[in-house]
Amino acid sequence: MSRPRITDAQMDLLAERLSAGGLGRRQFLQIAAGLAAMGAAGFNARPAAAAPKLAAGEKLAKDQHLRIGGGGWWQNDPSSHDFNKDLYCNGVPALWAGLMKFNADFQPVPNVAEKVSSNADGSMWTFTIRKDSKWSDGSPCTAKDFEWSWKRQMDPASKNPYSSYFYDIKGAEAFNKSKVTDASQVGVRAKDDWTLEVTLEGPRGYFPVLSAYLAALPAHRPSVEKHGDKWTEAGNLICNGPFTLESWEHNKVMVLRKNKHFIGAKDVTLDKVTIPIVPVQTGALPYENNELDMTSLQTGDLRRMREDPRMKGQVFRYPFPGTWYLTPQVTKPPFDNVKVRRAVAHAIDRENVVRVADGFAVPAHAMIPPGFPGAVDDKKIRDIQRFDPKAAMAQLKGTPFEGGKNWPKITLTMREEGYGSKPLAEAVQSVLLEHLNMKTELEVLEQRVFRAGLWKNDYQLVWIRWFMDYPDPHNEYFDTFYGKKTEGKRQAWVNDAFDKELEAGRDTRDTKKRLVNYAKAEEILQTDAGYIPVAWVARWAAAKPTVRGLEKNKLGENVVEGNIYFDMLPHLYIVEKA
Amino acid sequence: MRRLRRNKLAMAGGVVIVLLCLVAIFADALAPLPYTKTNFGRLNEGPTRTYPLGTDQLGRDLLSRMIYGARVSMLVGLGAQLIVVSIGVPIGALSGYLGGRADIVLTRIIDVMYAFPRLLFVILVMSMLGAGLMNIFIAIGLTGWVGIARQVRAQVLALKEKEFVDAARGLGAGFTRLLGRHILPNALTPIVVAVTFGIPEAIFTEAALSFIGVGINPPTPSWGQMVGEGQQFIRSYWHLCVFPSIAIAITMLAFTFFGDGVRDALDPKLK
Repeated sequence: MSRPRITDAQMDLLAERLSAGGLGRRQFLQIAAGLAAMGAAGFNARPAAAAPKLAAGEKLAKDQHLRIGGGGWWQNDPSSHDFNKDLYCNGVPALWAGLMKFNADFQPVPNVAEKVSSNADGSMWTFTIRKDSKWSDGSPCTAKDFEWSWKRQMDPASKNPYSSYFYDIKGAEAFNKSKVTDASQVGVRAKDDWTLEVTLEGPRGYFPVLSAYLAALPAHRPSVEKHGDKWTEAGNLICNGPFTLESWEHNKVMVLRKNKHFIGAKDVTLDKVTIPIVPVQTGALPYENNELDMTSLQTGDLRRMREDPRMKGQVFRYPFPGTWYLTPQVTKPPFDNVKVRRAVAHAIDRENVVRVADGFAVPAHAMIPPGFPGAVDDKKIRDIQRFDPKAAMAQLKGTPFEGGKNWPKITLTMREEGYGSKPLAEAVQSVLLEHLNMKTELEVLEQRVFRAGLWKNDYQLVWIRWFMDYPDPHNEYFDTFYGKKTEGKRQAWVNDAFDKELEAGRDTRDTKKRLVNYAKAEEILQTDAGYIPVAWVARWAAAKPTVRGLEKNKLGENVVEGNIYFDMLPHLYIVEKA
Repeated sequence: MRRLRRNKLAMAGGVVIVLLCLVAIFADALAPLPYTKTNFGRLNEGPTRTYPLGTDQLGRDLLSRMIYGARVSMLVGLGAQLIVVSIGVPIGALSGYLGGRADIVLTRIIDVMYAFPRLLFVILVMSMLGAGLMNIFIAIGLTGWVGIARQVRAQVLALKEKEFVDAARGLGAGFTRLLGRHILPNALTPIVVAVTFGIPEAIFTEAALSFIGVGINPPTPSWGQMVGEGQQFIRSYWHLCVFPSIAIAITMLAFTFFGDGVRDALDPKLK
């Protein structure tokens, strides 16, 4: 069947639901992009099998044990693994399997459900559940379990902060707000053991997306009833995902075992996964001491590891498209003068600035990083803000700041953040001083404080980044610089010609034409020095050469577990040492 | 003075302090390079002949930055104590001298201030005022006066019952004269001791604040900030945090030894 059309109004609703589930706009947009890219098979596209594809001469290791963590992964002890009750529990998603899941391109694909279908307008959805769906104790995991779990989540007694996640389901809101006490009035019904029928408040073409997210994972009723809050402790926990929880020493380590009753068990190769809980400050030390097989990397360790001949093959970059840039506030002197802004743009010695990030940044000459739709690489744009100290000084001629004199007090503001952002900002300060004699003071603010001031356009000069949400220039320009935005506007800069290009890009379906619009937009933005691109983000992880099976996205990059995609562990396997 | 001079540790501490003061005063002449001078070609280098203590993440000379860092530390140490003394001494003296209801009110205020965890309170004040050298003076000054106020109060309480005070009063000395000429000069000893111990405490507080990023704003260097930025790289570039740490440690030791010496020298019981 073809999937029901999803209208714009429905997309708005989806955004609301996902935000109730703790997913930001950013994640919503990633999912939306995944939806838009779905093929004819719709929600029933078959997920990629997790079974290892061994290269010639490679042999699976006897001991399929993976140790993963560190560098920011699992830096705090989970409060539980009960995603069904507490979405923010920080537990291990690989213990669970939902009706659907997200693949490496953020598209929802069937998981425990083998088929998903709806009536013509998408107001009623039927999930056909795989007959081999079992709990880790071998008992069947049926439609009734999902019905109970979802109702548990909506139950006012469970006091979920994200219960509105399921408000699309008929009667869910009334039930959650205690207006209706009869749970049977809620539109989730197990027609039989293998069929879950969901009746919605109206047409919701996106409903399967909701069922693919962490918030829609099931819980094991007998365990919950027997152990109460302690049901996700090791020993008590009965789950339905690729792994079970063998042990959990709080604040120390979690050990997962392969769940032989998992629906996809034959494709899961790892037998044991050890996840130590280590603070981010330990850096790559546990990995280098061979206490971990896979870890996330922070700035302190990357260069040393890449220079180490034994390590350098183990380090890899993973997709994290993002751009560091400066925003001169056009309402605050001296940046109300376009010449000053241009001078600053010419004074940024990008090649040198990125050196201080130790590998976590590369020089940027535009908003969109190379390899993504809308990336521009022609000389014309490269030249607008090229590094040229003489041109920078020349711009100041005729301004009160000629010769780099008379600068007022200038504060460069940034948010507190890791991954080399502060050294980058300090390097920017240093090149401004060197080439424009512009003294700046760096102010590092706490996240929330920073954002509040940012949206008020309070800061004089901002060091800021944009992390791409989904691969489309609309995201990079519209959500950041569109002048008619009413909230969440990051700068006071407005330009009508720029806005027109964005609108044209948004309203055109012709891909080529759109890219012309966006290239033009970038040109206007840079010429007016509404922003000054400085560096593109790079992120790194390390995995032992014996760890294989990372999924690649459409761009061919290794995808690492994040808060939408959590299908990494079932795909990994260990090979014998060469 | 003689007893202080005989105390070798205290004298060593004193010499270090004098040296530090000189370094702080003549930082511009002593530093081989300006503290903002970057060299992007030589980042995170270990000690070499051109850069005796190596370079930092931005290729700045660590030695020069430490020399300027001494200036910040000494300024904070002295500046904050100035505020501490100018708040603590009058309040303590008034409280002790006036007695009665005024004493109760002032002591309660002191007690309440004392009950706050010091560093947390400083961080709170800093986050309200924003980072910066002046604000550090204020934050440390606002929170540091209680100890001195208590000691002064105790001294004044004891002194005001002394016969020479009675005599002065009998001769018609007024409130200001009594307090200023007769009582306070005799209460000077604990104040001097408290100040010598207060200076390193203030320096350390500044280091702690800059370490967690609410102290001095870059690019002005501060030892605490340098340690804070360097500690995450300790395994890759050890020198970034080791040298400033040593500087902090030596300064703290010097002040502590000197302070101990001063206390012993002024302690009448040890005569």
